[in-house]
Amino acid sequence: MASEAAGPRSGLTVAALVLERSSPPPGHSDHGAAMKALLAAAFTTCLSLPATAETTVGLLLPASGNYAALGQDIEDGFRMALAEAGRDDITVLREDTEAKPQTGLIRARKLIMQDKADVLVGVVSSAVLSAVRDVVHNAKTPLIVANAGNSDATGKDCSPYITRVSFSNDQLNRPMGEWLAAQGVSSVYTLAPDYAAGQQMIGAFSAAFEEGGGEIAGVEFTPFGKTEDFGPYLAKAQASGAEALYVFYGGADAISFVKQYDSFGLREQMPLYSVGFLTAPLYLRSQGEAAMGVIGALHYLPSLDTPENNAFTETYANAHDGNLPSEYVVAGYDAGRLLLGALDSGAEGRAEIAAALPKIAYTGPRGPLEIDPATNNVVQNVYIFETVSDGGRMTHRVLDTVRAVRDAPNGCEMG
Amino acid sequence: MTAFWVLQTLNALQYAALLFLISAGLSVSFGLMGFVNLAHGALYMLGAYIGISVSHMFGFWPALVLSPLATACIGAMLHLTLLRRVAKQGPMPQVLVSFGLVFIAVELVRILWGDIPLTLDPPALLSSGVALAGISYPAYRLFVIAMGAALATGLYLGITRTMLGAALRAATENPAAARSIGIRTERLFLGVFTLGAGLAGLGGVMAVPVVSASSSMAVTALIPALIVTVIGGMGSVTGAIAGALIVAVIEVFGAALWPDASAVLVYLVLAAVLILRPQGLLAGTRAA
Amino acid sequence: MFRLTALRKAALTLTLLVLAAAAITGDYFARDIVAEIATLTILVIALELAAGFGGMVSLAHGAIMGVGAYGYALAGLAGMSAWPASLAGIAAAAIFGGAVGAACARTEGIFFIMATLAFGQMAWAFTFRADALGGDNGLGGIDRPSLPFADSADPLVFALYALSVLVLVILMTVAILRSPFGRSLQAVHENPARAEAIGLPARRIRIAGFTLSSALAGMAGVLAAQHIQFVSPDLMIWTASGEALVVLILGGIGTLAGPVLGAAIFVALKHWAAGFTDHWHLLIGALLILVVLAGGRGLFGQLETRLRHDRD
Repeated sequence: MASEAAGPRSGLTVAALVLERSSPPPGHSDHGAAMKALLAAAFTTCLSLPATAETTVGLLLPASGNYAALGQDIEDGFRMALAEAGRDDITVLREDTEAKPQTGLIRARKLIMQDKADVLVGVVSSAVLSAVRDVVHNAKTPLIVANAGNSDATGKDCSPYITRVSFSNDQLNRPMGEWLAAQGVSSVYTLAPDYAAGQQMIGAFSAAFEEGGGEIAGVEFTPFGKTEDFGPYLAKAQASGAEALYVFYGGADAISFVKQYDSFGLREQMPLYSVGFLTAPLYLRSQGEAAMGVIGALHYLPSLDTPENNAFTETYANAHDGNLPSEYVVAGYDAGRLLLGALDSGAEGRAEIAAALPKIAYTGPRGPLEIDPATNNVVQNVYIFETVSDGGRMTHRVLDTVRAVRDAPNGCEMG
Repeated sequence: MTAFWVLQTLNALQYAALLFLISAGLSVSFGLMGFVNLAHGALYMLGAYIGISVSHMFGFWPALVLSPLATACIGAMLHLTLLRRVAKQGPMPQVLVSFGLVFIAVELVRILWGDIPLTLDPPALLSSGVALAGISYPAYRLFVIAMGAALATGLYLGITRTMLGAALRAATENPAAARSIGIRTERLFLGVFTLGAGLAGLGGVMAVPVVSASSSMAVTALIPALIVTVIGGMGSVTGAIAGALIVAVIEVFGAALWPDASAVLVYLVLAAVLILRPQGLLAGTRAA
Repeated sequence: MFRLTALRKAALTLTLLVLAAAAITGDYFARDIVAEIATLTILVIALELAAGFGGMVSLAHGAIMGVGAYGYALAGLAGMSAWPASLAGIAAAAIFGGAVGAACARTEGIFFIMATLAFGQMAWAFTFRADALGGDNGLGGIDRPSLPFADSADPLVFALYALSVLVLVILMTVAILRSPFGRSLQAVHENPARAEAIGLPARRIRIAGFTLSSALAGMAGVLAAQHIQFVSPDLMIWTASGEALVVLILGGIGTLAGPVLGAAIFVALKHWAAGFTDHWHLLIGALLILVVLAGGRGLFGQLETRLRHDRD
């Protein structure tokens, strides 16, 4: 069952909303102006539409700490979706998880118990997702996950109240392992930060790569949050004699890693493959030419040439100094589209929204998107791309599209 | 296999050079004023970010000069307005004020430069690799090693061979006696603190072509610098040099030889040093 | 020597009453914050015992609290009921902290701080990578203790329970400080040479003091695990210890009333400021510097000095 959330809409309203958003954080300050806007909106709504129940959304995103930039992108995307739909019956509350499990849990409970949120959206860090999983499940409050990739959340720890619209670690790494083996690459050396997500990513890749006949020549996990110089590890990889390098890094590490890989002149000896976060749009500008030729897999690229994506990137760029949206903006946007789809189908309140979410499917900026009712994880295309320079500007060229990638249930039994 | 060891040795030297720049000011200002400046990592971070901005306007080489000057000015101002007063109040207010400064510096960086990590390209002159023992090593990293070595030598000679150095050593050994023979310790403290802040800023701007700059570096850079200071023994330039080399060798060769333990190796060594020699590894050789 | 002056008694009682009133009259989140304040206060009091009265400034206390929290969580997951599991958590923290204290006892000042930092970070790194402990994803499914006549799942009940634990900790700390052992601990801190001269085994006393402090930190960990019902290595990272140290100095060291006041103000300010700005650290930073400029005695210390001067 497909339900389009909303028709085409003018970029102008979105731009206006995003601009307005860029001054004080929403929902907290500037009560006077907000009140006036609300009254005006309420007045026009009364004239045009039948009264509907208000929906309260709790955004559970980091606004400080290492992941603050990701949280901002997800929020921008989410608000873009709401602005497009022109809905004014949705209250958005925002809580800072600081990307810490304890804080995230406290704030999630506040949104559920005190603010009576009908639905939660967000969660960047996998550790925060594990922390809030039981609370959301027991309180029967739907959570739309807009980033955290921990495969268990839609695997053995799945819940009818947790719907993931971003990606799972398995989903991105498995196709990359298969693809790389099919390209005839015989041996790789893997590198990732030493934490659960890093291990899950490399594990999923290695299993698929070995199944395809490849050989893992060496595995190294670098101490998380402490390793800034990858020189010692690059030297080990070089000495291993592996044909290629496969890595997962994000944030500041992604930038440092790519630049150091480039500076050691490894490009000629050991081609670099990665989960696409390594050269994602957010970091590509800092990496510059150093990222040239890196091959990765990701569920969204701003360079996808589809009508849906072209309209989306244009709207976003107009409101953000010509910058292109990241995969985080799209995840936030699709979380909004999913919620709007559920509301448009007539769902009201926690239980109905939770039940409606997995039934939504549409074609958005990243291509066709649906929710797998067996796991509540997103089913989507995975794009294998090469990072290239296009007239001096770094961009992604799609090499291959793995269509409608669906995770195995991995022990998920929906209650 | 020799290529591998050559590479790792150079990596260790490069890391040691950066560690030395961050730690030198921390170590000497502790030895001199008994002040553990936990905000020293924030100066390193500011050096990196100011360096990036200056470099975008005027290029890398001006940034290499202007950024340390800027952090030196910030350091001098902090010393005159705040830290001088706090240094006399004992360790607890020092902890409080330096944490306060770290909090403020981190938020200022987030407001001014944003949450997305930034980086800097090495200057064109140093952007290629140099062929060494059959391998290619980034020229920029060799430059970092050379700068570290030159500054370490310069500081060592300055302290052992000049009048100013003699005054500094006297003030570290016995401030009261130094004052009685006419050494103006207050001015000396200010000078040392400013120089330390400048070196931290230089470390920051030199680090960004290798690692990226983010607002978390104020805290992440602090711990290794403290470890260098403690292992090397406080208050001496030679201590900072030795400490930086020891920590860098442990980190780099630990990562290469015993990766499973590399997350804790440096802490294990630190704990062992402190248990076996509670006053630091090189304590007692603190004159220089 | 520590004296529970009338002013300190009044400040303690007043702060506790305000917290209880906030829990009773407040909404869900206010109650949650009261429980959070109680937990942080216990950790800070533990640090106060070690640092304020024993002179052992520790950057391992976050890790020790974490050991208590994990101890409680693991004992519960192994099938133990909440009360024995609490004892297990406290014992685990005391044993770990005692070992750290024994290993670091020869060092002093900044060297002691660094040695405790090293052990704390080792514990953090170990937990972060231990699959059996859930790694960086942490452990969930932790029970709260069952209480007579009340349901601990109720936020108000839990907030009052947390405050009761805090009162218990305060009473225990006062008892420790007034005991012969507590006097020796303070004597060793204030004048080690004289303490040795009158035959006090300084090293043993310091180790025992650190172990007692660790047991209190373990209580904070158990309470945190019961409150959040989730444990993660984030509890153990050195910045958690740093934060506790900042709260201790902010409140005023060596007064016992300081930690209570400091923690209440710190947590309330944090949540209040986070409500309108993402840059709330800026405010906290400014507050810390202001407190130092005002004299560096901490909020309560400042109050105490001011009142004493008024009386003179």
